Order: sequence, then structure tokens, then C-alpha cells
Amino acid sequence: MSKGKQFAKLFEAHFKTMFREKQVWFWNIFFPIILMAIFMLIFSGNDGDEFKVKVAVVQPVKNEMTDAMLEGLRQIPVFEWKSAEPVSAGQADEWIKNEDTDGVIYLPEEGSAPIRLVVNTENERNATSQALRSIMDQFVMRANLTAAGVQEPAYRLEFASVSSGSEELSYNDFLLTGMIALALAQGGMFGMVDLVEMRRKGLLKRLRMTPVRMGLVGLSGMVVRFLLGIFQIICLTAIGVFGFGAHLNVDIPSLIVVFIAGSLTFNALGYLFSSLSKSIEAYMGMANIVSFLMMFISGVFFPVNALPEWLQGVTGYIPLTYFVEGLRDSMVYGTGIFTPELWLSIGVMAIWGALAYAIAAALYRRVRIEVR
Amino acid sequence: MPVLEVQGLRKAFGPVVAVDGISFAVERGEVFTVIGPNGAGKTTTLEMIEGILPPDEGTIVIDGLSWDRDADKIKSRIGVQPQTGAMFDLLTVQENLELFASFYPKSEDLKKVLEMINLQDHRHKRVKSLSGGQRQRLAIGLAMINDPDIIFLDEPTTGLDPQARRNIWDIVLSLKAMGKTTILTTHYMEEAEKLSDRVCIVDQGRVVTLDTPAALIGKLTKERQVQLSFLDGEGAARETQEALENMPAVARMERDGASLTLWSAQPEEALYHLFGFTRERGYRIDQVTIRELSLEDVFIAYTGKEWRD
Repeated sequence: MSKGKQFAKLFEAHFKTMFREKQVWFWNIFFPIILMAIFMLIFSGNDGDEFKVKVAVVQPVKNEMTDAMLEGLRQIPVFEWKSAEPVSAGQADEWIKNEDTDGVIYLPEEGSAPIRLVVNTENERNATSQALRSIMDQFVMRANLTAAGVQEPAYRLEFASVSSGSEELSYNDFLLTGMIALALAQGGMFGMVDLVEMRRKGLLKRLRMTPVRMGLVGLSGMVVRFLLGIFQIICLTAIGVFGFGAHLNVDIPSLIVVFIAGSLTFNALGYLFSSLSKSIEAYMGMANIVSFLMMFISGVFFPVNALPEWLQGVTGYIPLTYFVEGLRDSMVYGTGIFTPELWLSIGVMAIWGALAYAIAAALYRRVRIEVR
Repeated sequence: MPVLEVQGLRKAFGPVVAVDGISFAVERGEVFTVIGPNGAGKTTTLEMIEGILPPDEGTIVIDGLSWDRDADKIKSRIGVQPQTGAMFDLLTVQENLELFASFYPKSEDLKKVLEMINLQDHRHKRVKSLSGGQRQRLAIGLAMINDPDIIFLDEPTTGLDPQARRNIWDIVLSLKAMGKTTILTTHYMEEAEKLSDRVCIVDQGRVVTLDTPAALIGKLTKERQVQLSFLDGEGAARETQEALENMPAVARMERDGASLTLWSAQPEEALYHLFGFTRERGYRIDQVTIRELSLEDVFIAYTGKEWRD
């Protein structure tokens, strides 16, 4: 029978086996989607919303100075007033204790007394309190400058963020590409569990008793896994873009090259795990540990530079880092195929893939001779 | 010319010599059975013949072909049912058969195979949901999908219930009727005796003896075991024992209550005298059994090991 017919039959067998296994659907499609949705709901809630601090003010003495201060505070745009008018000290304390406000500002009782800012002790060190404190610092400094007769300060700082994309990179874009990389990587690392099962059941041995070429068996399985990968990209992208408003700028040739390089690399890692394990449990343990370690330090969920410095060093050697980067380059930044950074990612993955494959192939050869 | 000839096969795993110089020849159309205790080297021998394990020493000639030069040709002429049910669990019976058929240059008619293994009604069932006997039949179906000359069945009935076992026997007999050569290993003596043209007993990596089941049994001592139980109780049994004491046809006797066991090289002669005596006394006999010698006795005689099912 022709090689083409054999390939077609093997492809069909692998395809049916994969899609009839419910676990494959769960872990490769539903799980990444659920994980992505959860992260996007948690971390992108404030996306586009303005930063607001809820405050109240206590004005123990009403005079020209405190009125002016009150007027000045009301001009600060990020303040959201718990009560439009000043409240009593007792009421203010109550609000602080119940965390109804982020902070309460006590205007001075007499000329030289300080302006006091009171927050709940629990929140003393959080970002909102810190921001409130620096806003009040600014306010007091301005008030002092005005009192000293300076009308407008000479220097001002304006803050904005810039990303290297054509559009601003939102967290959703960042997470979507991270999740696609993670899903594809896990698909490769966990997908080779079939091989362990085939070996355990003696199916690999059985196939070797027939004239079929084992390379053809491997190739057909690989092609099926590629299809699953494409399906994963489409599903996650559709949900990210239509469900969570991620915007992409895809460079198709780059994406194809990165996808193939990444899939091959992580399949090779899966192949390596399979060569090291005699049982499904051993294989799953190995794949779980490796994928768990990699997913948090490879910039899947948050940027690598948020990690402690020593860990960032490790990150630079991990294949998932480069797969995530490559996918982000090709899907969000529209990086062209002739860009050196893209090929650095591909190169690092290729080294990992080739090493894993070589070790696994050697182990398989040895085992074939030793084990009956 | 034999269809399979192995000569001086040897295989060691580290310090353990699994197969230590096995030789035999199998004729076309034979059912050739290899039996032996666990760890005797049966599976290793078969795997070397099937081309999965390279032998350390010795030659294997299948239909005039050898593994070094004609691996693909040999693979097309043999069909193997391995010990573990190695197939695609999530595919159906028919899908498995079609897949394996695609590996070979020629294949047997699918309908005919399904009929022989009696899985026509289950052809669209996934392997996962088949019973043990059905799986085993499918494994045999996969072994014959390429219309091979030689079929290897490695313990096809182990772990099956008696009915499922009998179904497999029917398949083996119909393979023989088709003129296929079958090489069988089994745990069941009854099976070897019933199905085989010749039996090869292997122990500690060597061939202990090889012949037809009848000839192997014939080579054993001619003594038969005869068992009787008396309806008239212990006294009748004791008196009969005493009466037969000096009979040359009776080698020895043992009595346990009302039942008497005797060993004799001429059981007809011994029984003639025995029944003469009991008739004269009017003793009634409840049961008489003459135990046939079986392959099991042959096995025990040659290997010195108890046979365990």
C-alpha cells in the first residue's frame, strides 16, 4: 500500500483518537479559555477607568484660610467626595474605621497647625494611600508656594506611558498572547502522553511488527497536534478579541514561523518526558512540574521585569519565555519575519527542541534494546 | 521445506540467559505450540522470531527469508497477536482493522476477517468497550488482516472464561483449515493437547522435548491410575484390596475409606479380576475412573515443575 494511503489512515487514526478523548478537549481548549477569562476579569477591571480616591474633609474652624483650602481641594480631579460638605470629626472617624473613605483630610484649626491626612491603619501602605499622600504633599507644597508669593511653579511633571506597539498594549492583549503560548506549550508537553500509553500497552511494539515506517506514525501524530494548535489559537484569539476587546496586529508569516518553531520545541520536550517515564503518572508529574515552573516566570501572566532580578536571569534561559515573546511580537506588534529579535526567539527554541529530541531519541534507542 | 526454521537461538539480558540454544523447525500448515513455565524464554523466543528482538546468536529462516535482508517481506508474511492487547482503544473494531490493513501490500477481505473473529455485530464499537474475549478476537483479526502465511498467537486465551476460550479455539482450528501455519503459546495444557499438531516444551531457555501430543504422552510410563468407590463401605473396599494384593497386573494400591486407587500397566486385566471379585461378593461399585495421562504429566515428568494454570 502506498505511503500516502498509510499516512492518510494514520492521520485519521490519530485525529479520531485525539478528538474522541474528552481530556484533550478539556485541557487544550476549555482550560486555557477559562484561565484566560479569569485572569482578564480580575486584572483588567480598571482598564480605561480613571483612578479615583474617595475622601472626606473635616473643617473644625471656618475662616478665610480654611475656606480657600477647601476650595483648592475641591479642584483636585481624582478626589471623589464622600460628602460634598465638611463633616464632623466623629463622623469622619467612623468612615475611616469602616473604610467608607480612602482617607479624611483635617483642615487646620489655627494658622500654624498642620493639615492632617488620616487613613485606616490596614491601608496605610497600600497604593491608594500612597497616592493620596503624595497628592496632599503636592497640594501643601502648592499652597506654600502661593503663600510665599510664587504664582506658578517653573517645572512640572507630566506622566504618560508608552508601549512599543503601534497601539497601546493593553493587559488583555498581553495576556491573550501569553495564554496562547502557554496553551500551545502545554499541548506539546502533555500531548506526548499518548506515546507513553502506546508503549505501555505494547502498541508501539505491535506497530514495529508491521511494515509501516515508525517515522510515518510520528509524523501523522505531529500533524494532528499541529491542527489542534491552530484550533487553540483560533479559539483563544476569538474569545480574547470579541469577548475582552483585545486588539491584535498580526504578521502572518512571523506567526506561522513562531508557531511551528514553538510547537516543535514543546513537542520535543514532551517526547523527552515520554522517554524518561514508564507510566502515565510519571509522565504527567514531569510535565506538570515543568509547565508549572515555566508559566510563572516566562511572562505569560505578567511582565518578566516584575520578577526579582535573580529570577529574571533564569527566565532568559527558558524556552517558554521566547515562545511568549515570539508570539507577542508576531501577534500584537506585527513584527516582520526579518526582524533579528524574532530569530533570537526562534533560535533559542530550536536549541531546546533539538537537545530534547536528541536526548529522547537516544534514550528510546537504548530502552528498545534493554527492555523486552 | 519447513516454513520456519530456528537454529541455535541464544539471548541474554545482562547476566540472565533467557534463551540458551533453542532450535526447531515448523512445517507448513501446522499448529505448533510452545509451552513452558513462566520465565522459560517463550516470549523472548517468539519476539526474536517476530523480528522485534535481535538474537545474540543463532539463525532464523522464515519461508527462506532472513531478518537482516528481507525484513519488510517477512513482516508481510507473518501476523502477530502479542500478549498485551496492543490496539487503538478509541478506534472502532473496523477502524483498527482498516488501519492495520493499510500497512501491508495485500490484505485479507475485511468481511471475511470480521466473520472469522465473529465481531460483525460489534464492528462499530470502540475497542475500549469490548469484553476481554472480544478484544482478544480482534487482536487475532489484526494478526490475520494481511493474509499471512504464519500466525503467532501469544497466550491468546489467558484470562478468558471457558466459553470465550472455546471461541478462540474455533478460530485457531479454522486458521488451520485455511492452511495457515500457527505458532501458539499457552498456559492451558488442555488447549495445547486439543489444538496442536506438535508441542515443544521449553524450560530454562532450552527445548526439553518436541513431538506430537500423543507421542509425548506415549513416551511416558504406561502405568494408568484407576479409581473406584464402593457403595458398601470401607469393609468392601478393604476386602477387594486384599484380594488384589498379589495380582501381577496391579503395581500398587492406596485406600482411603471406601475409595480405592490402583496403578496398573494393564488396566483391562486388573479391572477384569477386580470386577470378578466384586461380582462374586455382590459388592456394588459407585464410580470407576481411569485417568488418561495428559500433557500435564509429560510436562511434570520433563521439567520436574508443577503446572499452574
